Amino acid sequence: MILLTNIYKDALIAGIQVKEANLTVSDAFKDEMTSLLDKGNKYIIVNFEGVIYVDSSFLGALVSSLKYALVNQAEIVVAGLNKDVAGLFQLIRLDKAFKIYPSATEAAERKS
Amino acid sequence: MAVSKKILLVDDNPLVLEMMGRALSKEGFYCMKANSADEAMAILGLERPDIILSDYHMPDVDGFAFRQNLIAMPIYKDIPFMFLTSEGDNELMLKGINLEAVDYILKDTPLPVVVSKINNFLSTVREEHERTLKELSVAAMALNLHSVPQRLPVIKGFEVDFWHKSFQNYPGGDFIDFIKIDERYTFIVLGDVMGKKWGAWYFSFGFLSYIRAAVRICISEGNFSTKSILQKINAVVYHDPVVNDVLSSLSLLMVDTEGGLITYSGAGDLPLLYYNTADKGLKQIGSSGMLLGLMPDGDFDEQLLKLNTGDRLFIFTDGIIDFEDTNGKKTDYNTFTEAVKPYLAQSFAAFKKSTFLQGKTVAHIDDCSLIHLQKTDQ
Repeated sequence: MILLTNIYKDALIAGIQVKEANLTVSDAFKDEMTSLLDKGNKYIIVNFEGVIYVDSSFLGALVSSLKYALVNQAEIVVAGLNKDVAGLFQLIRLDKAFKIYPSATEAAERKS
Repeated sequence: MAVSKKILLVDDNPLVLEMMGRALSKEGFYCMKANSADEAMAILGLERPDIILSDYHMPDVDGFAFRQNLIAMPIYKDIPFMFLTSEGDNELMLKGINLEAVDYILKDTPLPVVVSKINNFLSTVREEHERTLKELSVAAMALNLHSVPQRLPVIKGFEVDFWHKSFQNYPGGDFIDFIKIDERYTFIVLGDVMGKKWGAWYFSFGFLSYIRAAVRICISEGNFSTKSILQKINAVVYHDPVVNDVLSSLSLLMVDTEGGLITYSGAGDLPLLYYNTADKGLKQIGSSGMLLGLMPDGDFDEQLLKLNTGDRLFIFTDGIIDFEDTNGKKTDYNTFTEAVKPYLAQSFAAFKKSTFLQGKTVAHIDDCSLIHLQKTDQ
């Protein structure tokens, strides 16, 4: 399991359990996200706390999950990005596709 | 290529772990140690070893069950696995073979022999892997499929060159193309299909075909707007069920040799780095577009740049700004800016030989692509 999930208020927090979110875990991540969306979760917070590196394969899986979420009228937001990862999101304009929150609890409260 | 030798040792006996760890560390292995199968699973969640050496007899989850658990998980099942056992009986061996354990080491084997056995085993796995890779590459060559150009275009008043390194020598998701329309206009294409290895490589051709087609169609209609070309590509990719689950970045530039004008639009790409000879300044040129196929409207824009003699543009994919230090892997755009600074008075050929780019070849973190465009005298 790449994701550790827990419910907080009406949100599902999906915490990434690896330091390096890369090719070796991107398929598993996408499968788990698809399954969470199939279960009817409508607001998923992907928590990056503890993740120090994200490669383009993993970002591809994240973005592909977002497209699947949109089809299912669900929302995916991200939280807990470290400085480097937040910088990368900004560089390639993923900050336009995802709402970014400092922490998972703030995302659950919908506060930035 | 630096040979990675990361090993996960699993044994409930701390003494064995310590001795094995020391002997293997001396031989250049990076050792991770686990006292139990559960602990090993926790480590695997954080880091992927090149090989696992596990004790057979352990309390709770034994080596047999551990191996079974790994085989059931697609992301772990391919990690080469060796049993460390104090028993040599045939039944045990047979059980292990059914579990696709690739080799055994008896516990009373002298340590130097253990080390050489592991080394031999890793070499065999690598050789097999390289053979498969070579066969696939030969097949791709036979189909005449290239995701980077085989020759450089001649653009009047400009010098263009590129540097490309694939991930662990696999063809990958980065693609480069130069589309020369006529003596006046040439398009420069740099894209990165998100993903690595064969899957990404396969889709890079799909994207390249769309891009080539969109460029040609727009030009034939008298439309020379890079923004409008991106919008067309994005619309097709967004709706095409074959590629709409695959995302790609794209930097699209049109070089107009009359006046040294560059038109640039980007889709989820890294900002270009622009060197202006007049004020000797380096500046990022960013675009607003999102990754191809992400949204029906990619929010693309278009920038116009006039290059004067000596001015340079660097266009690159994210592999160039990834690096690894003692704390792990990182991504930082400024590492490229700093690396290129000392070479601004020199040719691009000199930068290609820089320790920075040579280091990328050794590190093998991701596909790396860099295009260099420089305005020369007419």
